[in-house]
Amino acid sequence: MIHMNPKIVGLGTTFLLLLIFGAVVVAPRYTNPESDRVSDTYRPRTDLEEKGRALYISYGCQYCHTQYIRTIDWDLGADRIAQAGDYARDTSPQLGSNRIGPDLSQEGGEHTDDWHFAHFRNPRWTRPESIMPSFSYLAPEERKAMTAYVQSLGGRSADGRVERQWHWRRQAIAAYQAGVDENIRWLHSKVPDGWLRVPNPYPITDASFKRGEVIYQRHCLGCHGPVGDGQGPAVAEIYPPPLNFTTLKRHGIAGGATGGMLYYQIMNGITGTAMPYFKRELESEKIWDVSNYVARQFIGIVDANQEPKGIDAAFEPVEKK
Amino acid sequence: MIDFLFPDEPGSASRRFFMTASFWLLVGLTFGLLGAIVMIAPDLMPALAPFSFGRLRPTHINVLIFGFLLSAYFGGLLYVVPAVCRTRLSYERLANFAVWYWNVVLLSIPAALLHGWTQGREYAEMPWIVDIGILVAVAVLAFLVFTTIARRKENLLYVSVWYIAGGLIWTFFVFAVGNVVWNPPTGSWFGMNDQILMWFYGHNVVGLVVTPQAIALAYFIIPRATRTPLYSHALSLFGFWALIVMYTHTGTHHLLQAPVPQWLKVISIVNSIALIIPVFAFLTNVWLPIKDRFGRIYDDVGAKMVFTGTVWYFITCLQGPFHSLPSVQRVTHFTQWVVAHAHIALFGFGGFIAMGAIYFLLPLLGREIYSKRLANMQYWLMLVGLTGLFLSLTFAGLIQGEGWLNGEVVYRLLPELQRYFLVRGISGVLLVIGGGLFIFNVWMTLLRKKSGAGPALTKEVVTA
Repeated sequence: MIHMNPKIVGLGTTFLLLLIFGAVVVAPRYTNPESDRVSDTYRPRTDLEEKGRALYISYGCQYCHTQYIRTIDWDLGADRIAQAGDYARDTSPQLGSNRIGPDLSQEGGEHTDDWHFAHFRNPRWTRPESIMPSFSYLAPEERKAMTAYVQSLGGRSADGRVERQWHWRRQAIAAYQAGVDENIRWLHSKVPDGWLRVPNPYPITDASFKRGEVIYQRHCLGCHGPVGDGQGPAVAEIYPPPLNFTTLKRHGIAGGATGGMLYYQIMNGITGTAMPYFKRELESEKIWDVSNYVARQFIGIVDANQEPKGIDAAFEPVEKK
Repeated sequence: MIDFLFPDEPGSASRRFFMTASFWLLVGLTFGLLGAIVMIAPDLMPALAPFSFGRLRPTHINVLIFGFLLSAYFGGLLYVVPAVCRTRLSYERLANFAVWYWNVVLLSIPAALLHGWTQGREYAEMPWIVDIGILVAVAVLAFLVFTTIARRKENLLYVSVWYIAGGLIWTFFVFAVGNVVWNPPTGSWFGMNDQILMWFYGHNVVGLVVTPQAIALAYFIIPRATRTPLYSHALSLFGFWALIVMYTHTGTHHLLQAPVPQWLKVISIVNSIALIIPVFAFLTNVWLPIKDRFGRIYDDVGAKMVFTGTVWYFITCLQGPFHSLPSVQRVTHFTQWVVAHAHIALFGFGGFIAMGAIYFLLPLLGREIYSKRLANMQYWLMLVGLTGLFLSLTFAGLIQGEGWLNGEVVYRLLPELQRYFLVRGISGVLLVIGGGLFIFNVWMTLLRKKSGAGPALTKEVVTA
């Protein structure tokens, strides 16, 4: 019969523990150069971004937002699988272990600063069904730092996206300040010609109209408001402010089609403004449904179910005169 | 005054650790319930940083692990070690000093974390000074245990003592290393190396901090309650050494989908599966004596809770190896499934054994339980509550995981989780009510007039 004594318990297990610690923690550290080499998108953070990161850690954002993309992901940032070099210079890397909100490792440049301001103040303003806590108590400089940090996520890739946002933002602001007519002309000019001539291929039925309403409430309400006048709560933070759909009625729609124009803008968003793209989260029919809803409910011009009908309408060659 | 603050009466430190544990259990559960509520209704409470989920979650976890679990285990081991060594605790006054000191350290945990003073590493959030505070306490407890063992009158060391003494040493080591205490400002290494270290620690919080103490208490309580010796000494030995060998390798199974070396992932998966071996060595050893004597377990509310803890251990340790497999993690990783698993490990196994041990040991420490009826009510409330929490989060996790694999974005799935979060919240209410009954019962037991004799040394120690 083997007898245990305090020496065996204390020293024997400590010896084993040290041995295994060496194998599974120390050895990987010194045998894996990958973990020290920065990746191609890496860049050092600015002071403001570092301050934002400290706040990100302090508010415990990592308990709901991961910062690593896996090979099996489809959502935001899915085109850039996480590499060890993305974290090589970070202490307390914020990889996270739970995903209640989207992964943020490529969030930089996906939204504009004013979108983040509204989102921090109350996440429901930009994302009506979000369960993220409100950060309305952030001091202005804290909110600025947090936004700067979030806009830096993705490193060099993010810098490219942020730069593009700012490029278009200047035009969007100029167009807005030039008045309603010029603003609408500018917005329409962003839609390729073909799309402007495509009517909504789906008829408005009671069911599809109801679906459109539900989608509007889940995605659009916070900025464009319950009556489509662009006076949702987020208007307090967003500039240029969300579009008032009712102004489109007075101006008519070029070519008479609303469906294709709305579809294109919802699918791709309007870069440089707080209007995000929805191509990742709304399937084709859902975008047509919400376009029908907006057209009938707020604009009053409905082109649903006109010729050319059918879902392949968008792909039909347009007759040139 | 000194005799009130630091009494020399045998068992006094144990009893005070039990009061501490029941207090911090209620506090920790309340933070958990608040966290569940803000996920159901995010604008219900005023927009203040301490009410945000990112602050509530680490507070909830650290308060329950250190405030509830470790306090209960400290109280338990201060009784169990002298009892099976057939001697007195070496320094009762020092142990009583440790109670006060420990409560000061515990108070600093919510104070720091609710104010956002965190090192941002999961399970290792607490700032350096709190880390040091905890290490000192563990060292004091280890000193008390080893000096008591040195004075033992029973030559054989019972299996509980192996786990208690070993567990305290391992706790000291993995806590110090895992929190990178030689680097006070950040408490962290760099990059993925830090994550490997952090999960070595994070997983061993369960494996080498909580598990040995809980197993030690079960090894003491179940044979005593059934009045039957353990099934096999060889199995005790085997389970003990297998635990330290297998458990320590598994941390990287939290990083299977992250950029860490492949060989390390393989080691972690193999050892996660191998963990079934020490788990079943322990379960066989404590379950076989129960055969035909289940009535003795059922009749004692403390033993009943401890036994239930071993059942949760069984479920946890079948589920854990299973979802360390990469093909399973494709679905479960990042989801609420993992949260459900963590709850049955730490509260189902660690917590039920801690509460059961308090109810079982209090009479041995010379205090009859104030109300067994309340204790039974608490048992059922907590069993139903934890089961509801486990099932609701498991379902929510499956919805998340399958949805994401099918290309759904995180935002679109949120409304689908709402009803499960609601069930989780209701389960949380049951747990908090149970926690309220517990603190009431334990404090009434200890504050009312003394009943029964002083603590008895065990007469029929089962020398395995």
